[in-house]
Amino acid sequence: MKRLKFSDLLITIMIGVVFGITMKFWDDLYTVVKPMLPIARQLLYGMWFMVGPFAFLLIRKPGVALLASIAAASLSAFIGGGFTVLIYGFVQGLAAELLFASFRYKKFGIVVAGLAGVASCFAGFFLDLFYGYANLESWALFVKYGLRVVSAFLFTGVFAYLIVRALEATGVTNLIRPVSKEEYSLLDN
Amino acid sequence: MNNHQQNSIMQVSNLRLKFPGESSLIFKDLSFTVSQGEKVLLLGPSGCGKSTLLQVLSGIIPHSIEVPLKCDSIQLPESWGFVFQDPDTQFCMPYVDEELAFVLENLNVPRDKMGPLIGKALSSVGLPLPEQHILIQTLSQGMKQRLALASVLLLKPDVLFLDEPSSLLDPEGTIQIWDSVKEVAAEKTVIIVEHKIDHIADWVNRVVLFNDVGEIIADGLPEEIFDQYKQEIAEYGIWYPQVWEDYLVSTNFKEINTLRRQENLSRLKPQKTIIKLQDFRGYRGKIEKINIPQAEIDGGSWITIIGDNGAGKSTLLLSLMHLLRTTGQYELNGNLINLQNRKKSPPNELSLVFQNPELQFVTNSVFDEIAFSLRLIGLSELEIRTRVMSLLELFHLNVNEQRHPFQLSMGQKRRLSVATAFAHGTTMLLLDEPTFGQDARNTFAILEKLEQLRSGGTTIMMVTHDRRIVENFATEVWTIDQGKLVKMCASQNVSEQKREEKHCAGIIHTT
Amino acid sequence: MLELFTPHRETWLYRVNPALKFVVFFAFMLIVLFNQNFHFALNQLILYGVLVYSFSGYSWRKLLLFSVPIVISFVSSAATMMLFGKGVTIWWSWGLIKISEESFNYGLLLGFKTLSFGFISLVFLLTSRPILLFYALMQQFRLPSKYAYSFIASIRLMPVIVEELQTRSDALKIRGVHFPKGLKGIFQRLRMYTVPLFAQSIRRAQRVAVAMEAKRFQMGAKRTYYYPTTYERVDAVFVIVMVVSFASALVLSVR
Repeated sequence: MKRLKFSDLLITIMIGVVFGITMKFWDDLYTVVKPMLPIARQLLYGMWFMVGPFAFLLIRKPGVALLASIAAASLSAFIGGGFTVLIYGFVQGLAAELLFASFRYKKFGIVVAGLAGVASCFAGFFLDLFYGYANLESWALFVKYGLRVVSAFLFTGVFAYLIVRALEATGVTNLIRPVSKEEYSLLDN
Repeated sequence: MNNHQQNSIMQVSNLRLKFPGESSLIFKDLSFTVSQGEKVLLLGPSGCGKSTLLQVLSGIIPHSIEVPLKCDSIQLPESWGFVFQDPDTQFCMPYVDEELAFVLENLNVPRDKMGPLIGKALSSVGLPLPEQHILIQTLSQGMKQRLALASVLLLKPDVLFLDEPSSLLDPEGTIQIWDSVKEVAAEKTVIIVEHKIDHIADWVNRVVLFNDVGEIIADGLPEEIFDQYKQEIAEYGIWYPQVWEDYLVSTNFKEINTLRRQENLSRLKPQKTIIKLQDFRGYRGKIEKINIPQAEIDGGSWITIIGDNGAGKSTLLLSLMHLLRTTGQYELNGNLINLQNRKKSPPNELSLVFQNPELQFVTNSVFDEIAFSLRLIGLSELEIRTRVMSLLELFHLNVNEQRHPFQLSMGQKRRLSVATAFAHGTTMLLLDEPTFGQDARNTFAILEKLEQLRSGGTTIMMVTHDRRIVENFATEVWTIDQGKLVKMCASQNVSEQKREEKHCAGIIHTT
Repeated sequence: MLELFTPHRETWLYRVNPALKFVVFFAFMLIVLFNQNFHFALNQLILYGVLVYSFSGYSWRKLLLFSVPIVISFVSSAATMMLFGKGVTIWWSWGLIKISEESFNYGLLLGFKTLSFGFISLVFLLTSRPILLFYALMQQFRLPSKYAYSFIASIRLMPVIVEELQTRSDALKIRGVHFPKGLKGIFQRLRMYTVPLFAQSIRRAQRVAVAMEAKRFQMGAKRTYYYPTTYERVDAVFVIVMVVSFASALVLSVR
């Protein structure tokens, strides 16, 4: 696996920033429109796990999932989310990164990306335990985090994967993916 | 090219290069040498690889961008500076002084020596700012390019690479950047890629002409090349100094003029008014950004909107599309629109083409892109196919209809975005600088398509900085100054009323 | 906007090394996060409240305005926990909802933590310039320059991204795009908005990176700094004040 070039690094962080901004945009939308729909909120929660796996599927190099997640969290922290977001972003990104690492950074499919999202979700749950968000009645606990796991898989697996595919169709991914050996051999034709 | 071999400062021989994912090579065994002190201009059609060559000769490829390439030998210059095309993507710091300091930090210059160097660099490019700690985003595009030049001068380069530094600038900015280049680069080796060559054609001492497959077809003194390869230069869409004069006597333009004259003779009764505005104001947040005391728009007219940067030209277009909060009276085809209604959607009769075509594409193929709005109104697939095909032909989009819109060339994207707006079945097309940054060939192609639509009854309203477009295509000119429509010059016929328009355009350009 | 974020006076907190301030506050936040003691949480909340309202250099009027979202999240997180939290000493119940002594306390604890996070983040954001934070992180905490400048460059491009988001939103209206309800609609919305934005941003980021390297930026290379940051006496004062008040918060809670 190739190391990150400087442009990879900057692109990764920029992806995090774009995510941070779009998330903010939607969060405002949903906070204003639907404050009293806790179930809808949980179903959308997977969006917060998307950035790391998305960046990895796109750039396919080690370190990208963690870095993009930290970047998105820093941006959210900077525009009002504060330190909490930073801690969550770091821990969730780390979980996704470790999951990709456990597949030796060689799998870029829906299932692995979805699992990375679920890993982020568990990491978030771990923090929630200490924060105090998890001191719920067991039925509520089950509903809340059950929905979240489903949402995590849906957003980071299915949606992130499909959006990466849509970006591949635009041709910009050619700029950032590692160049294959075959491409070099085509020079001799 | 043997005469360049002596004291060469950079050279490459038998270069082969291929972009990942593309099927063909961009260069096949290209050899190129530059001698110390030369001022070289690389000319050729868009996409022929001129900019790529600059990146190879500076070492950006493959150091910063990985692109498969091989060559027999390559000699890179020892010290060089690179000014890029886009003024908004070559800085990393928010403030002017910080950006220049970034270069000095990279060179390990001690902190106490930075201040004077920054000041010197700024004044050498004609940017003696009273306060250096100002936001880069508050500078004009032309000033930003001079700042980019200042920042590379801190590298004390022997060689300057200039990759279309004026292509995204207005006329004023263009003059400024080239004046600065001439000032600072007299002693340096300079390699320039540019389509707008008005201000440098007589300054360079060597011109290299490429064809569309990346081969050098001519290399020599500017006078010789401009004289012998006039046809190629015109064909490649280069903005050579006489390009407008030549266009105005071309058969295409003469035909337009004849048709317009006939149109005026046959049209004795006044045109139908499609939009009436009275005390119309558009707001961003709570602040009033545009004010139209009174205006009427006739069907089949071509209105150009001119004015300084930030005067409110784009805001006017957005206001007419109901994308901003507005007040006053807005009558469309005789119906008064209720501007109080917060949830109003853009009027069906109007369509807007944004400056960046990519931001308005919504599908994954050229065909679907045009078919999109036709499907919305529920046409049959058969009917859609015929209409899409005729629009593709009308807009000269002879590409694979399944190609992704993002994978088109600059000019094709622009034409596709106009085509999609038109497919809507609109009676009025609003365009935000549709020819901005385009080469001459694409510019004339877009203008001709718009004229074709206009003579078919569509009303055109476009923002432009180009005086020549205003003079030769508009039937009406609106001037916006500091958020207010201050002047409307009408004209019934371009050729008859040219003088009046010129006068009007002259006033505008001196402000 | 700019005026809103201008303090009426710059307090000593502004002169503290931003990286040191960041690290100290971050450490405190971890303690808030993992702490389960009700009184300790309350004492810390008071400490951070005092910090915001006395030493941020902003007028009370502005501070109250900034506090509104923090208070809202306090109410919503505390209320949810009070209504649905676990507990056996039941005070009141109605269907699935039940308030118990335990859930009430969990709710308050959670609320105090949320307020603490909000206040301390606010102090930091109000009294630090982001660019100096990165310069100080590079100089005092050995943050590699490649990360620092990538962040700075990305933050610089934020307004462009926001503007593109707005343009995209307008363009979708003009093209007449409507989204279905439900998950499919959410996905389509996500794809329609993000794909062109990512495409633009990826290209833009690559151009900026290339331009930076063309200006001889090198990963891992030694460099000088335009904004030299150091430790000064005010930093020692800051650390002492923070540690002492933090220790008092702890001692008072276990007495």
